[in-house]
Amino acid sequence: MRRTASLVLLALAVFCAALSPLLRWYAYPRLAKIPPDEYQTAVLEAAPATLLDYGTMKPRKVPKISIVQTLRGNVAAAEKVGRTTGRDVVVWDALSYIEGPDGKMVSRIPERYVFDAHSQEPVHSGGEHVDGDAVRRDGIEFKWPFLTEKRDYRYFDAQTRTSAPIHYKGTRTFRGLEVYYFEQTVPWTKVPLPKTMPVDGVTPEAVRKAGTSRWYTTKRMFWVEPTTGAPVNGEEIHREELRGGTLLGDRDKVTVFAGHVKMREDYIEHTVDLVSSQRQLILLLTRYLPWGLLTLGGGLFALALWLEARARRPAPAAE
Amino acid sequence: MRALAAAVIGFTAALALVLTVTALGGPSGSTSPEPLLTTVPEHP
Repeated sequence: MRRTASLVLLALAVFCAALSPLLRWYAYPRLAKIPPDEYQTAVLEAAPATLLDYGTMKPRKVPKISIVQTLRGNVAAAEKVGRTTGRDVVVWDALSYIEGPDGKMVSRIPERYVFDAHSQEPVHSGGEHVDGDAVRRDGIEFKWPFLTEKRDYRYFDAQTRTSAPIHYKGTRTFRGLEVYYFEQTVPWTKVPLPKTMPVDGVTPEAVRKAGTSRWYTTKRMFWVEPTTGAPVNGEEIHREELRGGTLLGDRDKVTVFAGHVKMREDYIEHTVDLVSSQRQLILLLTRYLPWGLLTLGGGLFALALWLEARARRPAPAAE
Repeated sequence: MRALAAAVIGFTAALALVLTVTALGGPSGSTSPEPLLTTVPEHP
């Protein structure tokens, strides 16, 4: 009887010990994925901000501008790209919409981001673009990979359409979560004019024909929860100028937008709550289950050995 | 010999479980009907 029990315990011990690395190294990369039907919004604000008044072509201080960022997973496009590339892919259609203090549109930049559902590596298929311009991303955007490392990453900048390193600057505590702080500075760079201008009748072609170009610089900051790779807070110190040409009269340059953009408080709280619960699922696959099963397997193996040893002990001689 | 058989059964069960769970994967869902926003939402 004891020998049968020790064999059952041995089978369970091997089951647990084998399941531990299989979960961590086989199941985790296949199960921890960005869902293809994700829908997310974020609102950021710059208060106050400097905004160009296109009527007078002079910058003016405004109490607040809001940036609404929407990410919507395009399931049909993801399935199509997945079939052609043989990878598990996510396609995000995104819109960054900036609203002025009067409720009018300041800027609207759509983009499409195609990436591997687990590693977040960009996938160059499925029509990735920024504001209608085809791009070839190199590096991440919006989100870091699961189990983010303490190192620099390449981060795609939608304004310049290029990627550059975003630097790991240390570990911090943000709203009770351990986060990695990343920073990227984009120096003054000439960037394309938006396809949709904020004033009716003004087209990017007309601005270009006047010899005027758009320049931009930003300091980008992210606080990233490393288990999920999700930013729980983001800020940008952002400046845009129009330079040269006949539109500006006798001036060399004029500020189009300047402000310190911060995530709205209710969105920070919402993101922190969401990430706090999601990280438990990742930890379950990468830490809790693998270590728990390994410990349980060891315990069951010891118990099986003990039972086996007792079963083999010779019975005491009869009196 | 019986110990080896028990170990093989344990290992095979673990492998079968992981392969089944990963093969099932997650639901693919469908594209959200929510729009790409052009107004500032009041709350998340």
